[in-house]
Amino acid sequence: MSNALRSLQKRLPSLALTTSLLLLAGLTAACEELHPRDAYQHPAADASEVSAWFYNLYLVLDSIIFFGVLAAFFIAIVKFRKKPGDNALPEQSFGDSRLEIAWTIVPTLVVLGITVPTLGGLFELAKRPDMNQKIIDIDVTGKQWWWELDYKKEGINTGNEMHVEVGTQVMLHLTSADVIHAWWVPRLSGKRDATPGRNYPLNFKPKEVGSFDGQCAELCGASHALMGIRIIVHPKDGPDSYENWVTRMKQAAAKPTTPQQEAGQKVFMNKGCVACHTINGLSELAPGARSRTSGPNLTHVGSRDYIAAHTLKNSPDSIATWVKNPQAVKPGALMSNLGLTDQEASDVAGFLTSLK
Amino acid sequence: MASIADFAAAQKPIYHQERPSKTGLLDWLTTVDHKKIGILYGGAGLFWLLIGGLEALLFRIQLARPDQHIFVGDTFNGLVTMHATTMVFLAVMPMIAGFSNYFVPLMIGARDVAFPRMNAFSWWTFFAGSLTINASLLFCGAFPAAGWTGYAPLTTRDFSGMPIDFWWAGLTLLAVSSMVAGVNFVVTILNLRAPGMTLMRVPVLAWMMLVIQFLLAFSFPPVAVGLILLAFDRTFGTVFYATNMGGDPHLWQHLFWLFGHPEVYVLILPSMGIVSEILPVFTRRPLFGHHAVIFSGVFIGFVGFGVWGHHMFTAGMGPIADAAFASTTAIVAIPTGVKIFNWIGTMYNSKMTFPTAMLFAISFIPMFTLGGLSGMMHASPPLDLQQHDTYFVVAHFHYVLVGGALQGLFAGFYFYLPKITGKLMNETLGKIHFWVFLIGFNVTFFPMHMLGNHGMPRRIYTYPADAGWNTENLIATSGVFLMTFATLVFVYNLLTSLKKGKDAGSDPWDANTLEWMTTSPPPVHNFDFTPVVLSERPLWDHKYTPGFEIPVPEKAEEIHMPSPSWKPMWVSGSAGLIIVGLLTFNGVFGIPGWPLCIAGALGIIFSVYAWVTEPV
Repeated sequence: MSNALRSLQKRLPSLALTTSLLLLAGLTAACEELHPRDAYQHPAADASEVSAWFYNLYLVLDSIIFFGVLAAFFIAIVKFRKKPGDNALPEQSFGDSRLEIAWTIVPTLVVLGITVPTLGGLFELAKRPDMNQKIIDIDVTGKQWWWELDYKKEGINTGNEMHVEVGTQVMLHLTSADVIHAWWVPRLSGKRDATPGRNYPLNFKPKEVGSFDGQCAELCGASHALMGIRIIVHPKDGPDSYENWVTRMKQAAAKPTTPQQEAGQKVFMNKGCVACHTINGLSELAPGARSRTSGPNLTHVGSRDYIAAHTLKNSPDSIATWVKNPQAVKPGALMSNLGLTDQEASDVAGFLTSLK
Repeated sequence: MASIADFAAAQKPIYHQERPSKTGLLDWLTTVDHKKIGILYGGAGLFWLLIGGLEALLFRIQLARPDQHIFVGDTFNGLVTMHATTMVFLAVMPMIAGFSNYFVPLMIGARDVAFPRMNAFSWWTFFAGSLTINASLLFCGAFPAAGWTGYAPLTTRDFSGMPIDFWWAGLTLLAVSSMVAGVNFVVTILNLRAPGMTLMRVPVLAWMMLVIQFLLAFSFPPVAVGLILLAFDRTFGTVFYATNMGGDPHLWQHLFWLFGHPEVYVLILPSMGIVSEILPVFTRRPLFGHHAVIFSGVFIGFVGFGVWGHHMFTAGMGPIADAAFASTTAIVAIPTGVKIFNWIGTMYNSKMTFPTAMLFAISFIPMFTLGGLSGMMHASPPLDLQQHDTYFVVAHFHYVLVGGALQGLFAGFYFYLPKITGKLMNETLGKIHFWVFLIGFNVTFFPMHMLGNHGMPRRIYTYPADAGWNTENLIATSGVFLMTFATLVFVYNLLTSLKKGKDAGSDPWDANTLEWMTTSPPPVHNFDFTPVVLSERPLWDHKYTPGFEIPVPEKAEEIHMPSPSWKPMWVSGSAGLIIVGLLTFNGVFGIPGWPLCIAGALGIIFSVYAWVTEPV
């Protein structure tokens, strides 16, 4: 037993090396994986570019310091071991004032050198954008566990999927209806808390067309993990332009056209969904009836990529699963389980999917 | 040449008073001996380390693959919350308290702490607090689940249930325990040093303990206030944190982090002290720049009170406050760098040997450096806005707290345990522990840097398969198994060494400081005679520097040692009664709990009276 242990002890450093190599291989494999939310390699807005620039700066600086310290450390370990039989004491040095002063001053200069641009970047990010340009203003309210998006100027109220325009300044006004949430879509901007009773701005100007995912970044209860965000950046013109999206969204909800959709609308109106959800042109919550537990506006829910805040891909099946038992999809979800039958669930799913 | 055998010739001291002796369990319940209290703290810390590790293992299993449903929602959040709460308050802090209790009086040549019964009170209050926090599993079937930072308003009654009551109640008791201990040890270190031990001759570990006791005494009051406000909100319906009534959730964040950041230094400075004690012994040189190491520790302690806002860059304090906190935080890098350079300076021109204690002590250096450097990134708000609350931060503070604090404490166990038990731990098992732990630790936490860069927030119980986080999460989870195995090897090694370990003798490592001049384990009165300290390394100079021998007095000393006492436990118990009363204030099964509060208050008055009038 003890012999086996002792020979294992001898082989430990080489085992350590092997494991490190395996780890490195694993991490290289991880780099092959797609990283659709990497802010530093693929920043897609001015705000995230600032963060990425600082990341690269600090990465270079930190690497120089770390590998410098590591080199000094390993040289010491290799060079200054006690040789067998050498029992003389090493030189008893208590330190060196000049060295102490040097290695206090050098880090001080490094810290100063890096803090000055840092503060510059900080004030750059906090700067109020030029108000004479076109600005998309969106009031964002974090709710357990979804995001209410209110385009006041355009008169659009929607949830979870934010639509903006490439090259146009976006100003978010973040608040919360319940606990603290944090808005974070890495490739577009850093995060900002959505705090109840407060209203914080978050500005960015997207530079790329596409869909960008993110999620709540502040622990906000049971389904914190399922409070996703998608920002869709539209081109300036063409059929898929931001303006076209706005026009589409301002229209009232589509009327049911098939018997199933009509049955689904009846379920929506009679089984309790209307108590919390608005569908423009069908049933709108009176301002007094809106509370922190009211659900998202469903006028165009069929056009969303996901439902339940980026939890399920939007399809009739997933809507049926969701409405039948919301808590099974999202623990603690505030949407009531209305006890719908399978038929009712698939009818209402058919109806909601038709609301493009 | 002089040797420590000289001390055996000293006369045993004569006790002034008849010391009532108790045996067995009663002895442990009534003890005021700093060494026994140290063992209690250390044992409790080890126990909770295993529990906290188990919690981590469970939630890492949930995160190994995307879209798993093993621990979901608040079950997962509870595991995360209790992992952090347990590791910070119930594992690392009591282990530090254990080292502080056992070794600070020995290092400074004292017979006990300044207030031995207050010391016992700290321990029993800690004990009550640790049970209270975990009792929520027993009484509510759930853990508190608002994160160890407990951000209001998630912790208010509107958004969380009874487990949070156990959380604030337990933490309040721990806060009382730590504040009392802080005062006790500040007085001990400043007033009970052996003759000749000037402040600059105080060993670095004792110095770092002095710094953290100041931090404990001054940083726990803000969080205690915050917790009491929370208790009022939850129990009496006040609105300190209720925004719809004009309360302010930022109040909690400021109070919490004004405690929380000094707390980080409470966790790391003792390990820096342990490394600073171990390096000179196994390099056989004095600590390079001894004074610089001490002053940088003191400086870290001071600056630690001015950096809390860097936890709140995303909270919207405004650019001026952000800039101030970013600058103060960057300053912390300077004294930290000085310490690292001095440790490496100690290693140069030395003749190093590498027992397990030394391996843990030196591997502290690069691991802590890595954690410190990623910390510099967080000090930069433009960058922190991306990294805040992501796995990058998780990687950062685990490099500091596991690669740093915990590895330092492991080094401390291998180095100091022989003094406590009189037995050496097994070196082969120790080296297996070291290597497996070091590898497991890096396998677990290094990939987390990447997860953070790839956009994974912390405290999420599941993640979609297409987010690009699958490989790193699987690697990280596999590392946890290595760390678990290594820790079990350590516990096995520790337990078997108690019986089978080789005899350590008084001074197994040929060390520098006073604790090694007395027997292992030391007698109740620590030293047969009060040593006179002539230099920074009294024991080393006694052995190796002619003219610096510690004089052995010819006459026996007459001493007074404090008697065992039940009173500290009575006061802790009464405080616990008040807490139980508050937990059940509005009634359980129709019986209101407020009479318990009155009983507890009366109990405190009565037991404090009995305490102060008790003959010692």
